[in-house]
Amino acid sequence: MHGGTVPKAGARFMYIIVRPEFYPCVYIPRFTLTGVECTVETSSSPPRLLLVEDDLELAQSLVERFGEQGFTVNHVTDGRTGLNAALDADYHAIIVDRMLPGMDGLDMVKAIRRQKSTPVMYLTTMSGIDDRVQGLEAGGDDYLVKPFAFAELLARVRVMTRRTVFASSKLSAGSIEIDLVRRSVTRRGQFVELLPQEFRLLEYLMRNVNRTVTRKMLLEKVWDIHFDPHTSVVESHISRLRARLNAGCDIDAIQTVRGIGYRLLAPN
Amino acid sequence: MRPTRILKAETFRLAALFALLFLVLTGTLIATVLWIVDGTQRAALAAANDADVETVMNGFRDEGLEEAVEVVKQRLGPAGATGRHKHAMAPEAYLVIENGHDILAGNLSAVTCQQGLFTLALPPSGRHRSRQILGRCAAITDGVELFVGRDTGPLSATRERILHAFTWVAVGTCAIAVVCGLFLGRRFMARVDAVTQTCERVIGGRLEERIPLRGRDDEWDRLARAINEMLDRISALLENLKQVSSDVAHDLRTPLTHLRNRLEAARTSPADVQHYAAVISHAIDDTDQLLSMFSALLRISQVEAGTRAQTFATLCLMDLLEKVYQLYLPVAEDSRHVLSREFKGPAWVRGDEELLIQMFSNLIENAIYHAPEGSQIRIGLEVSDDGAKAAVIDDGPGIPEEERGKVLRRFYRMSSSRSKQGHHGLGLALVAAIAQLHGAQLKLSDAGPGLRVDIEFKRVTSTQGS
Repeated sequence: MHGGTVPKAGARFMYIIVRPEFYPCVYIPRFTLTGVECTVETSSSPPRLLLVEDDLELAQSLVERFGEQGFTVNHVTDGRTGLNAALDADYHAIIVDRMLPGMDGLDMVKAIRRQKSTPVMYLTTMSGIDDRVQGLEAGGDDYLVKPFAFAELLARVRVMTRRTVFASSKLSAGSIEIDLVRRSVTRRGQFVELLPQEFRLLEYLMRNVNRTVTRKMLLEKVWDIHFDPHTSVVESHISRLRARLNAGCDIDAIQTVRGIGYRLLAPN
Repeated sequence: MRPTRILKAETFRLAALFALLFLVLTGTLIATVLWIVDGTQRAALAAANDADVETVMNGFRDEGLEEAVEVVKQRLGPAGATGRHKHAMAPEAYLVIENGHDILAGNLSAVTCQQGLFTLALPPSGRHRSRQILGRCAAITDGVELFVGRDTGPLSATRERILHAFTWVAVGTCAIAVVCGLFLGRRFMARVDAVTQTCERVIGGRLEERIPLRGRDDEWDRLARAINEMLDRISALLENLKQVSSDVAHDLRTPLTHLRNRLEAARTSPADVQHYAAVISHAIDDTDQLLSMFSALLRISQVEAGTRAQTFATLCLMDLLEKVYQLYLPVAEDSRHVLSREFKGPAWVRGDEELLIQMFSNLIENAIYHAPEGSQIRIGLEVSDDGAKAAVIDDGPGIPEEERGKVLRRFYRMSSSRSKQGHHGLGLALVAAIAQLHGAQLKLSDAGPGLRVDIEFKRVTSTQGS
């Protein structure tokens, strides 16, 4: 469909250098003291989403709310049109229902993956463990079960569309630096002792610096937990991480986004 | 029972096949027996002929041609000279001829001599049927030839007797095979009909129907027992489903009623934006609680469907419990509970990591939820030859003995905790479903004081390892 102009998954970086005009994101190589760090930044045009969803009421609401958040949404209602749209134009992310008329969402994602590496998020009522595993194996990047809070979807889509690719073993955000190889953390040059799961939690927050991550995202990405605990698991861990990280500092590095989640702040 | 059904029955077809096979074997046997008997009898005839030829030749050698002719005449008996036709039916046939046509003695009219043994066909004469004479020629002297032969009548008589006997045996066998086939086919069909009719009645909605057992413990009884057990399981599941449906209807109605009342009150009472915001926020919380109840129910039914068992892997139970312990340690501290662990060695189990983590999480959350502040919650792991025993023990109020079985049911809440918010009464039901999926024994007991939940896993055999 696209002949030789479409990059294979994994070859994106090379392709961007050669033909940047065909890709929605612009890679800005930044040289820091810790090594080469490449951030996928959105271009000046508003981020574009493809929404493949046959529930018109839900779709309309999503189009409006994403619009309010500065996204441009192209909405299609069936799998085949969705696949054509996904292959014909470039999007920052694709949101796909799993059960679609015309073509199953799973098959659609498989077909997209053969040609493109655009991030894909499933939005589905299929909540089984197998369903999720199948969806991610088909090439999806994230899986959100309906019904969901819009804030949850928004946070996930933002994280997806602004992926940061670190080519270094060190991450830094504001005054915090972590060494992924040595598993060590410093804040303002002072070592901070963290337990392994606190380290993983911080690493995830740092990889999504200045972006809101929800409790559910943290449970999934840090602990690989896909059910709703009835106790404040995330809050308890965050409060411990905060206590260790903020010791001797007057600025709280982790901001609580009320009712939604957390955000690691790094002033530029 | 229609005859065509019996003819189609497997047993009958098998009996018919065996009858056919028997016929083929009988045919082969008859041919062999006939061949052997025939050969033996012909050899005996030939030997008798040879002996006669020898006697005649001896007569010739001792006293000349006349003596040889005399011997033949004696053999033919006293009437030998009076006419050969009288002896047409005698089993032996002799002829001494000179120059190929002059008969010196004998009871035959002519013979064309051949080399070795040959068969001489005598046409029917008078009231006698045609005959076959097996014999040979011998030269007595120049121009004088002797033929000695014997009737092969006894040979064909024997052959006919054998054929006759075997035919009866074959017909009898076939008849028995057909009768047995019909009989067995009928019995077979009767059993099949019993099973089919029961199944049809079950399909028709009478789920309590079972296939009657004959008490012989044969393959039919085993089949019937397996089908009956299957029906028992289906009935139990259906009963469960009915129970759940009514529970769901009941348990969802209460929060939905609250939600509706709150929204209705907000609509009718004059209020400001802040009040509306508070009501809406409350309504969203109610909805989330309902949704969480739904997902818990769905998870339970997914687990009970049993399909996850196909993707079981060998897991280290100690690592898994350590993960759960680390996950809940800060939670327990924040709620002022003391969470501790005591693992006596690693244990390997076959299972689904995600579900097992959820199971132990549920048990720990249950303990945090029910045990008062300051309570001890212990996670234990013991390993034995039979398998591994994981335990979650708290020193809270525990569960009265009579309620221990009931708390594993969906939506069951003890009256004491019913007023507490945020608990849908599905946690232990999910624990029970996950334990059952893993073939693990779930036991609730008194920790004196408190609740002790034991989950006993079977030992992983080497063939199951991955």
